[in-house]
Amino acid sequence: MVVLCLGLFLLWRIDSPRVERFRIALIDRVVPSFEWASVPLTRMSNMVEAAQSYQRLYEQNQELRRELQQMESWKEAAVRLEEQNAKLLALNNVRLDPRLTSVSGVVIADSGSPFRQSVLVNLGRHDRIVDGWAVMDGLGLVGRISGVGDRTSRVVLLTDAASRIPVTILPSGQRGILAGDNTAAPLIEFLEDADAVEAGSRVVTSGDGKLFPAGLLVGQLARGPDERIRVRLSADYERLEFLRVLRSHGAQIITDHGGLILTDPLPELGSQTEGEATEEDTAAAEAVGE
Amino acid sequence: MIDPVTLRIFGYRALFAAVVMVLAFGRMLPLDMTATNLPGPDLITALAMAWVLRRPAYVPAGLILIVFLICDMLFQQPPGLWTMLVLLATEFLRARQALSRELPFPLEWGLVALLTFAMISGHQMMLGLFAVDRPALKLALVQGVFTLVAYPVVVFMSRWAMGLRKATPGEADALGSRL
Repeated sequence: MVVLCLGLFLLWRIDSPRVERFRIALIDRVVPSFEWASVPLTRMSNMVEAAQSYQRLYEQNQELRRELQQMESWKEAAVRLEEQNAKLLALNNVRLDPRLTSVSGVVIADSGSPFRQSVLVNLGRHDRIVDGWAVMDGLGLVGRISGVGDRTSRVVLLTDAASRIPVTILPSGQRGILAGDNTAAPLIEFLEDADAVEAGSRVVTSGDGKLFPAGLLVGQLARGPDERIRVRLSADYERLEFLRVLRSHGAQIITDHGGLILTDPLPELGSQTEGEATEEDTAAAEAVGE
Repeated sequence: MIDPVTLRIFGYRALFAAVVMVLAFGRMLPLDMTATNLPGPDLITALAMAWVLRRPAYVPAGLILIVFLICDMLFQQPPGLWTMLVLLATEFLRARQALSRELPFPLEWGLVALLTFAMISGHQMMLGLFAVDRPALKLALVQGVFTLVAYPVVVFMSRWAMGLRKATPGEADALGSRL
């Protein structure tokens, strides 16, 4: 039996995609059948937490009122900016990326191991989920799809030690790689000039390598206790319940399970962006001219 | 008819599988997705060792193999590796059944501690040898310590809730030979 285990381990090491496919199929079969029990249990524990927070109701209420006051002024500013933005967009005739739609799903299980940071969502091949798509919660990036079963798919979180995402730091525009290291705040690696960035700067995806659409909010920079540059994630990792999977048709798909290098672009779906259309138009015009 | 001894053995085997499944299910509940520096104890491994030390007949190697392979698969671990280590550890304990029966609890705890850390180092070495991404050694050791802290609780629960105690010298198995 020891030999059997060793053999299985070696098989996994040699032909990882096949074994991982089996694993995804197994989880796909087993985990959704737990849902009847896991949903009430999770709810219950959340309710207990909520009950604990009721004890501080009065303080919270005061706090919220104060925050609301501040928010009012921000709202004014936001409305004004929105008007301005709309005007400018109209002037420029910009169309926002129409291909970026999303599907929402519910987290049904986490990885179960303290060394792997991933969750299962109840979306799968039936919902046309594709490996490699970006996953967000309401606010920020959460991770990326890695492993799609029929009814479930696995989301590798940004905090996982295997997660590497190209990012941009906003005011300075520096590029870096967001590297998870199994702590709550992932590291930024390969920065050109680590001194030129400030704590508190916004970090968004850069879209390099066509991995993710550019400009998805990731979080804010912060210096860790070890003086390394880390990112405080915007997504609320303590309460991952509903996740949005972005259908990024511009991105490339991984056709092969466990394939590391992306090769084939996804077939174009739906309408094209303005820029491409004009390019084609000019090409057509040239053809006519000849 | 099935005789009561065999029935009891199979009952306990089913109970072991059920308890492991409940623990695994508990670990997979999506309660807290933040990465943490304090990994919880590996209760399933502790349970297997506690049961092998008490009633080897209730946890045959085949059952351990199946249960731990499923856990490896569910928990995104390299399949087979941890199972192999658990098998080696439990077989080591099984072979020393006569010794461990008279072992007082602190010594048993020490033995389990030795085995746990041997398993962790074996796990790290194998992963290193095959160039697999491995969990940080510090975290793995912290988990080992937590497992050991939880071990007496596991033993107590097995004994109190499931009636699992060490075989007394006079007990006999189904065929009447002494255990």
